[in-house]
Amino acid sequence: MSDDHKHAPMVDEVSEFEILEIAVRELAIEKGLFTQEDHNKWTEYMHTLGPLPAARLVAKAWLDPEFKKLAVEDGVKASLEVGIDWIRTMPTQFGTPSDYCSFRVMEDTPTLKHVVVCTLCSCYPRPILGQSPEWYRTPNYRRRLVRWPRQVLSEFGLQLPEDVEVRVVDSNQKSRFIVLPVRPEGTEGWNEDQLTEIVTRDCLIGVAVPKPGKTANDPRPVRKALKPYDH
Amino acid sequence: MSNKPVYDREHHVKKATGIGDPQCFTGEAPAAKFKVGDQLRVRDLPDLFYTRTQTYLRGTACTVSAVVYESPAAEDESWDNTDKVEWFYSLVFKQSDLWPDYPSAFGNDTLETELPERWLESA
Amino acid sequence: MRHLDIVKQFQPSLHTETHAPSPDMVDDDHYRAYTRSSHDLGGEPDIPITWEEKEEEIWEHNTFVTCEVLAWRGVWNAEERRRRQNVDVGQTIYLGLPYYGRWLMTAALILVDKQYVTLSELQDKIHEVRQRYE
Repeated sequence: MSDDHKHAPMVDEVSEFEILEIAVRELAIEKGLFTQEDHNKWTEYMHTLGPLPAARLVAKAWLDPEFKKLAVEDGVKASLEVGIDWIRTMPTQFGTPSDYCSFRVMEDTPTLKHVVVCTLCSCYPRPILGQSPEWYRTPNYRRRLVRWPRQVLSEFGLQLPEDVEVRVVDSNQKSRFIVLPVRPEGTEGWNEDQLTEIVTRDCLIGVAVPKPGKTANDPRPVRKALKPYDH
Repeated sequence: MSNKPVYDREHHVKKATGIGDPQCFTGEAPAAKFKVGDQLRVRDLPDLFYTRTQTYLRGTACTVSAVVYESPAAEDESWDNTDKVEWFYSLVFKQSDLWPDYPSAFGNDTLETELPERWLESA
Repeated sequence: MRHLDIVKQFQPSLHTETHAPSPDMVDDDHYRAYTRSSHDLGGEPDIPITWEEKEEEIWEHNTFVTCEVLAWRGVWNAEERRRRQNVDVGQTIYLGLPYYGRWLMTAALILVDKQYVTLSELQDKIHEVRQRYE
């Protein structure tokens, strides 16, 4: 653990954050603002989330030009085909409050590469992509991507030629975005499951591109939690 | 508590249930002023207290790539004022217009983001 | 009182003394800089860092869920939540506390601001929870 974190509490201590979290949750329940059951339901919903539906959406779009057209024109409707209802999958029946129900699929071409950021917070299409990675939430990524996208992408291992237009998507209002990357060479004849495997979370954010044989995000350091939540 | 004003805190929940947000505001905005392909400019309005119009966009030319949905502007909705609904647009900016020091070798690079009508004017 | 040593360190990072200046010392750029919203940081220069993944703390998960459920039950809408978490907290907390730390502060404050809980009730509850673990 680095020096600037040496004052973090030991595992057997209870931090001020933990105390405040318990206090807020218990008070809200005592005052009847929500129930423990509501809280449990949302946790159960969170357990269902991950990047797989978005990956499958991309694979389907690669295989079916009509579906690709639908995905680009109406992401919410296209999501139904991969089991995600942006309005009714979640306990609210009006979408997740943080993510709204406007979902846009940004199509890459051989000369256009999208990459997504939210400079104002860290808006992210949780219902179809799960929780955002830590690096996506950092002020650093948010500061730099909009102005120095090629430098940031190169730090993720993605160098793009001059004739490719890099388009940064700043997700600032109610829409949420994924990138529909170009289907890579070497995947001819692959089925939907095979294609889904190479569409990683990072490809869907736009900091990586799919490659045959590459089924995981690049390895990165993982900051450990003191008391990790077991997903 | 009886001495507190009564307020239906679930008014938005009721409106959006089964419909979604921003879908629940569909049909409430005046006709869209702009259309796909229009050349616009981001107004330099005051940004006191709250806005979701990024500082780096102010005064910059852009092109409408999509007319996306109707919603109250963030400035209003953030205080639960949802009566004034307007169209939101997806806009494409040239990076070289946003950042004077953007490398000329990458003159094709762009940025796309969404803004409500009130922040936009014809170029 | 050890936290005062950390608070003291906020000051030099501004590279100028700030002791509530008189109006004649505040020009328009100064005003704009200080009233700037803390979340609006696109385009600010910064140096490359190591991109990290992160495990989630139990309290972080619970905080996220509490904030969503508060919205589900109409205590706030998502736009109010975003403003409070990312702007109203101010620059120091915005950059100085963890991502979900801001969410948590904001969830506590909304209960008080909207009169669902008095501040003394919240303080008593924090005190009581702390005692459970002593």
